Amino acid sequence: MNLMEHMGIESDRIHFSWISSAESTKFVKVVKEVTEKVKALGPQQHFKKNDAKVA
Amino acid sequence: MLDYIDKIKEISERLLKDCSVEMVIGFRKGTLPMMNEPCFARTPEDVGQFVWDSNCGINLANYLTDRKERIGIVAKGCDTRNIATHIIENKISREQLVVIGVPCKGMIDKHKIATLFADEIQTVTENGEKILVTAGGKETPLNKSDVLQKNCAVCTHRNPVFYDELAAEKVEEQQDVDRYADVQEIEAMDTQEKWDYFESLLSPCIRCYACKNACPLCYCPTCFVDEAKPQWVGKGQDPTDVRTFHFLRAFHCAGRCTDCGACERACPVGINMRVFTKKLEKDCFEQFGWEAGMSLDERPPLDTYRPNDPNDFIK
Amino acid sequence: MSEWEPKIVSFLCNWCSYGAADLAGVSRMEYPSNIRVIRIPCTGRMSPKFALAALREGADGVWVSG
Repeated sequence: MNLMEHMGIESDRIHFSWISSAESTKFVKVVKEVTEKVKALGPQQHFKKNDAKVA
Repeated sequence: MLDYIDKIKEISERLLKDCSVEMVIGFRKGTLPMMNEPCFARTPEDVGQFVWDSNCGINLANYLTDRKERIGIVAKGCDTRNIATHIIENKISREQLVVIGVPCKGMIDKHKIATLFADEIQTVTENGEKILVTAGGKETPLNKSDVLQKNCAVCTHRNPVFYDELAAEKVEEQQDVDRYADVQEIEAMDTQEKWDYFESLLSPCIRCYACKNACPLCYCPTCFVDEAKPQWVGKGQDPTDVRTFHFLRAFHCAGRCTDCGACERACPVGINMRVFTKKLEKDCFEQFGWEAGMSLDERPPLDTYRPNDPNDFIK
Repeated sequence: MSEWEPKIVSFLCNWCSYGAADLAGVSRMEYPSNIRVIRIPCTGRMSPKFALAALREGADGVWVSG
């Protein structure tokens, strides 16, 4: 997602991984890693659409 | 470039007369200066309207999508690349086409010229490397090289990639141009600067979709912007929606865009939306060694798997 | 107020990562609860639209896993 980064969204917000269905340990590891990285960036404000949603 | 006209007319007339095509698509003079429009010649008499000058920036490949008849088409370097993309994507077959290749020396940027003059531009004529603009009753000569469209200034494929007829001798390709200077400039910014850059770039956008209509790649029967359930992008001018539109439009062109500049040319408010597509074009070139439309046999990178495809971004 | 916790929209392939998540659950492994899982039939179903839609709706991060 180079273009995302190019237009000003932090590259650490978007993650890709490849985990086999047998790799639960890797799953846990990646979840932790992704959470940490996103947490470090703080809330995402840029792309959020702020006006009230119509139900 | 003006001397191409007779040759284009001659070829088109011959093709129509011997019935090898049912229609020739070319350009004719528009009603406003610098606005040549597409012309669909069905009889040898129609061919008389054809022109060729530095205002033929519209990408004629746009008019080939799903056509059934045999067509002759006047095509610059970038047009032939888009025709190749159409053929690869089965939007037209090679057998249907007679490509009249036109070596191109770049098209002039009507936005740029318009900003140079306070008065309305009445006529624009050209003579070799000189452009003569009449505005407010005064004539001003300009150098063509100063007012080229931005994509033409860095174009490295001016000659048609493939053709059946050639309207003129091939021109020399530009060698020492820095094709990605503008992209690199943005890449050097930090995240916030990038965000602000695009925010100000897109702020005048009125969502008229001229860019997507002018683009030969945009031919989906239902565009994502028109989908309502789910609605991927709102219809208004909310900055998030505007950005989503431009971003997704660019993504649909990934690995297909030839940087023909039709989108930028069509924009009524002069947004340079090529900074989106150019980035993807650069990525394709750097990561896959791919330039769209250069061959009829090779499948595009997003369509194929190669063991050495870059995958560093996957954990 | 407690510490801010990010919301991460995760698109997991039914056959790979979704299975891994299942296995992690069955094995009672602990992992952060910030992810909101969306099961997709295959990572091939993923589209840039989805990632953008998630961000527009206020997600702090997007994770795609095959």
